[in-house]
Parts: sequence; structure tokens; C-alpha cells
Amino acid sequence: MLKRGRAPRIEGDHRVSDPAPVDVRALARRTLARNRRDVVLGVILLSLHQLAEALVPVAIGLTIDRAVVTGDVGVLALCVAGLLTLFTVLAFAYRVGARFTLRATENEAHLLRVEAARRALDPRGERSGLRTGEVLSVATSDAEQAALYVRAWAGLIAMTTAIVVTTVALLTIDVPLGVGVLVGVPVMMLLLRVPAAHITRRSEAKQATAAGATALATDLVGGLRVLMGMGAREAAAVRYRAASARALRASVSAAASNGVYRGVVSAASLLFLACVAAVSGWMALQGRLSIGELITVVGLAQFLAEPVQGLGMVGQIFATARASARRLVRLLDAPDAVAPGDRAPEGDAVVELADVTYRTLRGVDLRLEPGRTVGVLATDPRDAEALLELLSGRAAPTEVEGAVTVGGVPVHDLDLAALRAAVLVEEHGATLFEGTLRTNLATGTDRDEAHLSAALRAAGAQDLVTGHPDGLDRPITDRAANLSGGQRQRTALARALAADPPVLVLHDPTTAVDAVTEEAIARGVSALRAERVPVGATLVVTGSPALLARADEVVVLIDGRVRGRGTHADLVRDDPRYGEAVLR
Amino acid sequence: MSATDEHADLLPTASARRTWAVLGDGVRRSGWGTLLSLVVVLIGSGVGLIAPWVLGAMVDDITAGAGLDPVLRAAGIIAAAAVVGGLLTGLGGWLVSRSGEMILARLRERVMDRVLHMPAARLERVRVGDLLSRVGDDVAVVTAGIARNGSDVVVAMATVLLTAVGMTALDWRLGLAGLCALPVYVWAARWYLPISGPYYARERVAMGERSHAMMGALRGRAAVRAYRVEAEHEGRVAERSRAAMDITVSVFRLLTRFGSRLNGAECLGLTMVLVTGFWLVRGDLVTVGAVTAAALYFHRLFGPMMFLVMNFNEVQSAGASLARLAGVVDLPEAPEPRDAREPQDASVRVKAVAHRYGPGAPPALDGVSLEIAPGERVALVGASGAGKTTLAAIITGLRVPDEGEVHLGGVPLADLGESRLRGHVYLVSQETHVFAGTLLEDLRLARPEATEAEAEAALARVDALTWVRALPEGLRTVVGEGGHALTAEQSQHLALARLVLADPPVAVLDEATAEAGSAGARRLERASLAATEGRTTLVVAHRLTQARAADRVVVMDHGRIVEQGPHEALVAAGGRYADLWRGWRGAPNP
Repeated sequence: MLKRGRAPRIEGDHRVSDPAPVDVRALARRTLARNRRDVVLGVILLSLHQLAEALVPVAIGLTIDRAVVTGDVGVLALCVAGLLTLFTVLAFAYRVGARFTLRATENEAHLLRVEAARRALDPRGERSGLRTGEVLSVATSDAEQAALYVRAWAGLIAMTTAIVVTTVALLTIDVPLGVGVLVGVPVMMLLLRVPAAHITRRSEAKQATAAGATALATDLVGGLRVLMGMGAREAAAVRYRAASARALRASVSAAASNGVYRGVVSAASLLFLACVAAVSGWMALQGRLSIGELITVVGLAQFLAEPVQGLGMVGQIFATARASARRLVRLLDAPDAVAPGDRAPEGDAVVELADVTYRTLRGVDLRLEPGRTVGVLATDPRDAEALLELLSGRAAPTEVEGAVTVGGVPVHDLDLAALRAAVLVEEHGATLFEGTLRTNLATGTDRDEAHLSAALRAAGAQDLVTGHPDGLDRPITDRAANLSGGQRQRTALARALAADPPVLVLHDPTTAVDAVTEEAIARGVSALRAERVPVGATLVVTGSPALLARADEVVVLIDGRVRGRGTHADLVRDDPRYGEAVLR
Repeated sequence: MSATDEHADLLPTASARRTWAVLGDGVRRSGWGTLLSLVVVLIGSGVGLIAPWVLGAMVDDITAGAGLDPVLRAAGIIAAAAVVGGLLTGLGGWLVSRSGEMILARLRERVMDRVLHMPAARLERVRVGDLLSRVGDDVAVVTAGIARNGSDVVVAMATVLLTAVGMTALDWRLGLAGLCALPVYVWAARWYLPISGPYYARERVAMGERSHAMMGALRGRAAVRAYRVEAEHEGRVAERSRAAMDITVSVFRLLTRFGSRLNGAECLGLTMVLVTGFWLVRGDLVTVGAVTAAALYFHRLFGPMMFLVMNFNEVQSAGASLARLAGVVDLPEAPEPRDAREPQDASVRVKAVAHRYGPGAPPALDGVSLEIAPGERVALVGASGAGKTTLAAIITGLRVPDEGEVHLGGVPLADLGESRLRGHVYLVSQETHVFAGTLLEDLRLARPEATEAEAEAALARVDALTWVRALPEGLRTVVGEGGHALTAEQSQHLALARLVLADPPVAVLDEATAEAGSAGARRLERASLAATEGRTTLVVAHRLTQARAADRVVVMDHGRIVEQGPHEALVAAGGRYADLWRGWRGAPNP
């Protein structure tokens, strides 16, 4: 386990900086604690609302008993005043209580969302073992659902209040009858839960089939241009119709189970009402109940079903919140991937690997000095991956043998910000962000137009600006979906060049561009890096002869070991294996 | 900044009237099912009226000092009504859901059909995100609306309607008293609906922006860290999350104010029923039992009324999605030419084609003419932006050029019609997409009737059978989104195998073979040669070895053809292509 307890980076909202919860219970506790005021007020008012709802049938019974039956106008006036008061309280309690509860839920969801995003983006990385898609769903839907703890607690307490009030009212009227109703309703609900759980499971499985049709639709539309190119749009339409028909059959059959359940619930609750009516009618005949009490009992028996059913819902909400909280905690409490130091590079940003063994790499020596360009040809992509992990400080120190230093300081003793300021590793296929071309390029200190344009030119991407009416301000959609593969790659390269780091590491930067552009890029990159003050160092991991030809030194990695060193021209002349690997 | 700034067309959204028309059309097509289901629901709700009525009568019997028999009879009637009502409720709910699901299924199939068959030129302009949200989110929202709430809404409406009828049947004055609540309900709804609609729309937009910020940052985690822009992205997530939350809270504020007005309506109605009942009983016009029944009826309405109005937002958002779906249904279909002609052979002729992307943009193609003989292999070479991809798109009919003509097999492209065109010319584009499903299903998109043996033969032709057989379940391996992840090289192999299965006379290849690294690229080049053997082939050459393998190399620059001829001849001529070739080989340029 590595270091815990990250220091918060956003100030101003103190609640965001609470320490990460270690388990589900801690998360639930923290949820209630940091929304204390809203939760308490919400619970009190929602309970008051339930109490008022329970009193409505009582009020109806009283009015009939004391006013309608007696014909006393004074009492009627009192009853009407009572009804108005009751409804005023009922409406007010719900309105304000529900707002407090919602505000607490939304606020908690917001805090969790931001916290999850911060944890996922933390420079130290995380070892939650979650894949990117899973992290995404944790940060979006789980953060939202874990916040439902607020609603679950509010519901639990309010429903319990309603049941207690109904209990008191019923027992006041008649003890045996009250006990009968109070036992009967929950027992009936419990009995109904058995088929309900079964039906819910079945209908969820069926809904999944329905969702499958939607997934197919988005997949086909995502590949629509490919489908069009291959003339397969009709085939795709046929496939979708089949999936849609399957989904229809599944939903209709789910609706059938739901219908059965609904029918059973309706019949059961009315049958129960028939029993209550028979018993309380008999009691009224005997004079044990007044007419108003009879009405109240019937009304309460009907009303009681609501909070009891509500409790069942609350159980489901708790289960949902708990499941989401578990996944959320896994991310929030994940150990850091690396434990960075606090030193800064000393002197020139010279990068040096001395006899390094890591993953597939075996005893690799490599030195990169300012003003130099080193090309690395790795025949095995895993070697390239391992090298990049070392240089970006993502490799766990325990797995690395030998020394990796930047500016004379071991990479693991460096402060992460200092390391990343010194060495920029532009991964192959690096993501661009939603915004504009300018916002994507302007990550470094120098953000003026001339600087960005120079970077674009060097990356062979000036056509992105000249070919668009908005120029540098042309919009870039999420993951730059509105650019072609080649445009994306050149934009990412331009971004790396514009960041202008002392040490720039590029990985296969020209795989999606054509030969002509590649040649121009090779020229542009070395010129721009040479112009830097102080002069920059560049390391290119690539199989492109155009790029390798411009490196001061080429290092050949085969099976994790350095098998050759020299200029491209020398290697081509002297090493047949090198020629085999790069000449095309 | 957001994706909505993109200069692209949004798909249309239908007007309310048009949406109703599309829905009504669906109802009509569903035949008697919908009508029958409504009748069953109405009868079921009617049976639900029996219990309060009988209870009211029982109150009168007890007041009149009757014996135990009427009480037991009342209980018996309620029990019978319970059984019948339960049956009808279940059946009605099922029937309504069934009709709704059937109408919905037909609608989503029509939508998907229109999207899939969108004219190529329109597709180029449309935002994929918009398309995806129509066939994905909107269909899901409408489905959830129908599956979760559709039948409940119908049942609740029937209950409200019939309860009003029941109260009036007890005594018209009691019915009238209850109806006093109606104007308040209407007033509340007329206040709430117009002001809440825009809020919900804004909430949806805000939530979309929030998830955009989150997805962008998390999917690009590595880049966020490399550029040390964590704080910026976290800040953006926080800002958008807070903005969405603020909207949600204000929408809810509005909803609860609406709720209070509904409580007011309940209070008014109930009070009116009791007060009216009081005077009617005093005047001996109705019995205490009737008043009891009326009060019970009215109390019974609280639930369904609340349900109906509180679900307005879901109904509204389902309505908004429905309008977006109806908008797609109304898209015009790609016109098929009346006298479509068959291409005579596999030749391609491009005549003086010029094209630019929007007014003011530099020409992407500037007077390009090119003839390709049947069976000939031509490679296009040039820098990014030279017009290679545009020319490929125009030859395959994905773009209509501003000027000039394209003939395939002697027939102008526009006279071929979409289906003939697609059967004749096949495009392997830079985009690779592995379709979710088994590998065999993916291949069968190119030829649905292909047997397993034919699929294997196609894979063998592009030298992909070895790795396919090595997959966990061979051809039956589930690939694509959520399945076994294929490498870039494998995805491209698959694209080429589809080409072999489709067996078109003309193939246009614009793939990015270099993505797979040098060794992989060489394998892919061999595969693509094998796949296109005997076909008229136009290759957008990303690697010059592709050009060397072609019968003829066409060099493009700034939308014009600047050199053409066989590889050896161009290299010997020492022109632009010769320079490129030297640079490509890594020989230092002079």
C-alpha cells in the first residue's frame, strides 16, 4: 500500500476536501454528516407531511361523524377550519421538506462526482483495478446513486412516522381491530414481496434484452460511414429490425408479468379491505364503533398500504446506494500508482537510463542530452511501452532495476509536477479535448498565436487552420471526433510541440499521415526543437525511416536489449536486421 | 465552448402537431389492440368504483339499524369486485403496455431505417453525436417512459375519469362539488407546464455538458496528466456539475410549488364534497352513506392525480424525445433515379471535377480528370490536404462535387441510384469500426447470406484465418464494443475480409495501414493486394510501397494532379515523386 490522504487541490469549497472514505459505512456517515442541516430539516418536515397524510382519513371520519351526522353548523365550521389547517401543514411540510432532501442529495452527488473526477485524474495515478470505462461509470452514475443515501434515510424515517401515527390512531379507536389491521397490512405486503422480487428479476432480464437493441443501434450508427462504404446499410437495417423485434417480445412478456403482479396486488388489497369492512361493520352494528370511526378505520387501512409499500422502496434505494457506494469507495480509496518525491531536476535536463531492467527491458543504457535527438526503434511494442512508462514516471519503483535519472536526480525522487514540466511524454493516440483547436494547443506557458501556428506548421497541420473559416478557433468535439485520424494525430503532435518542454518524448507520431506529410513533419520537428532556447532534447520512438534519419543517434531495441547504436545511415549500411526492420 | 458550436446540421425536430400525427399513425396501424386495451382499462377502473359505493351503502344500512346480513353482503360484493377488478387491472395494464411497445417498436425501426438510409451527402454534414443520441438516448427515454409509466398513466387517467362519473352518479350535486377542484388543477397545470418546459430542456443540456466534461477528462486521463492540466479539467467538471445541480434544484423548487397548488385543489375538492354533503343530508336529499362514498371517492383520487401531474416531467421528456424521433421519421428518403442503368464495366472516369468545402475555403479539388481502366490499380500520392481523400469520397458518391462528373462503367454516378452504386463500388475508409457481435456477424454485414466456409475463405484470402482461429471461440468470438478487443491490424484485416465477401467490381481503399507498425503494415499491404486482385482499384497511398505496387501512380498537390505514371518511370524521371520516394526510404534529401 502506498501513500494515502491526498492533499486537496481545489480551495474555496471546504467540503470537497474531506478525506476519502475507507468503506461504504464511512461514506454513508460522511454523506449524512456533511449535509447535516438539510438532512435533519428534510427528515423532520417529510415526517410531518406523512403525519398529515395519515390524518386526512381521520379528518374525513371526524367530519362525517361530528358534523354530517349531527347537522351542527358550528361543528362543520370547525371541521372545515381543521381541514384547511391540515392541508396547509401537509403542503408546506412537503414543499420545504422535499426541497431540503433534494438539495442534500444533489449536493452530495455533486461532491462525490467532483471527488471521483479528482481521484481519477490525480497525477499519482490509482490502482483501483478499474478499467477506464468503469471509472467513467463510477464517476457518473455511481456518484449519483451513492448520494441516494440521503433520500433513503429521509424516506425511512418519514414512512416509519406515518406507520406510527396510523398505529396510534387505530389503537385509539379499537385495540383488537387496530392490531388486526396493523398485522394484516404488513403481512400482506410481505407476502406480495415474494412474487414481486421474482417478477422484478425477470423483468430486469427482459429489459436488458430491450437495452440490447439500443446498444446495437448506437453501434451500427457509430459505424454508419463504414457501413455506407461497404454497401451494408440494408443488411444493418435488417439486423436492427430483428433485434428490435426480439426486444419487443421481451418487453411484452415483461409487461405480462408486471400485469399479473399488478392484478394480484390490486385484488389482495381490496380483499383485505373487504375483511376490514366486514369486521368493522359488525363492530359498528354492535355499537363498538361510531360511523365516523368506521370510516376512519377503512380510510386508515387503505392509507397504511402506502407507507408500508414506501418502506419496500426505501429498501431498494438503500441497496442501490450501497452497491454504488462500494464501487465508489474502490476508486476513492485506491492506492496511488506511484509515490513521487519532492526534488527538482538539478542542472540541465539530461535524461539517463543506466543498466535499466523493467518489464521486457533488459539492461538498457540510454542518454539524452539537450540539443540532441535520439531515435528509438523498438521491434516489440512492449519494449516501447515500458520505456515510455519509465520516462513518464509511471513505473513503480519496486519493479525497476538500474537507474533512471532526469537532471541527475532519480526519477522517483522527483516531484511529479517538476518531472512532467521537464519531460513531456506524448503517447501514441493521445486524446484531444472538447473545445477549440486553440484550447487544445495552448497548454504550455507560451500561448500566443505565432507560437501555436509555428507548432502547427512543424506538425504539418497548418491545413487545419487555413482550411477552416474559424481558423485556430475551430471547434473540436469530444475526442476530436470531428477530425480525421490523420488530423487528430497531427494536432496532438502540434500540442506537444507547443508545450515546448525541455525534453520531448514522442511515440509513433506519424502513423496516420501519408509519406509526403511525414517527411515534412520530420523536417519541421527537428527544426522547431533546435530553435528552442535553451535548446531542447527530443526522443522519438518510431519505426519511420523519415524520422529516424533525422536523429543524431538511433538506438535499436530488440527483445528488450540494445542491439545497435549509430546514425540511421550507418545502421542501414552496416546492420542488415535494421534495414529489414525500417526499410519499407 | 461545447460541441453545439460545430458548424454542422442538426437533424430536424418535429412540431407538436407532427409528433401527434406520427403517434396517431402508430395507433391506427396497431389496429384494434389499442382500442381493446383502453376498453379493458376503463371497465377495470369502473369495477374499482364498487368498493366505496358499497361501503357508503353499508354506512346507511348500519345507521338504519339493519342486521349483520347487509354488512356481510357488502363485504362479499367488495371481495367479488376485488377479484374481477384485479383481473381487469392486470389484463388492462398488460394490453396497454403491449400496444405501447408495439407502436414504439415500429417507430424505432422506422427511425433507424431512415438514419441508416440517409443520403450520403447529408450524412457527411450531420453530427454523429446527434444521430447517436436519437437512436440511443431518445429511444431509451421513450422506451423507459412507456415501459415504466405508460400503462400507469393510462390507468390513472381512467381512474380519474370514472371516479368523477361515479361521484356524479351518487348525486349530481356531490359530483359538482368535487368538480370544483378541477379548475384549480387546470390553473396549476397551466401555470406549471409552460414555465417548466424550458427548465427541463436546460437541465438536459446542462447534464449533457456535465457528462461531456467528465468523459473527455477521464478518457484522456493520460494526456491530462502529461500536460498537467488536471486542475483545469477537474475545475470544468466541478463547474458544469454545479451548473447542472443548480438547474435541477430550481426545477424541483418549481415542481414542489406545483405540488402545493395540487394540495390546494385536493383540499378545496374534499371540503366542498363534505360541506355540500352536510347541507344535502340536512335537507334529506342524500344519505350519510352517499356522502361517505363521495368523500372516499375523492380521497381515492389523490394518488392517481398526484401521479399524473408529478409524472408530467417524464411525460414531457418522453414527448421531447418523441418529437426528435418524429423529426427523423420525416427525413426525406434518398431518391432512386427513375431509369436507373447498370454499369457497363468496371471502369472509372472522373471528368473535370472541382470541389471546395464551403464558400471561401481553398479548393480541395481543382479540375481533376482521371480515367481508370477496368482492373487497373491506381495509387493516389500527395500531402495531407492535397485532395486524395476528397477524390475518393467523390468517386464513391459520398460527396457530390461542385463541378464535373464521375462515371462508373459509363453511367453517370447520379443515374446509378444508391443500391446499384453501393453494389458496384466498395470503400474501405480510414475509419475502422468493428461491429459489436460475433466475428461472423461482422463479416456477414458485407454479405448476409455468406456461409461460414465462405467467411473463412475470405479471411484466408487476406491471411487472417490464422489469428481468427486462435481467438477464444474462432469465428464465434464476440468482438467490438464490450467484446474481445481486436488490434488495429486485426480490425483492418477484418475490413479487407468484408471487401472480399462483398466482391465488388471497383474498390477504393483509403485505409491507414501504417497504424499497425512497419511489419504489420507490410502484412496489411499484402492482404489488401490479395483482396483487390482483379478489381479496379484506387488506393489512397499512405505508404509509398502501396504506390510502387500499383500500375499507375497519380501525384496530387493542392487539389490538382501534378504527375502520373508507373512507379519506375516516375522515380527515373527525377521529379517530385522521386524526391518523395527517396525521403520515404530514409535517404537524406539534398
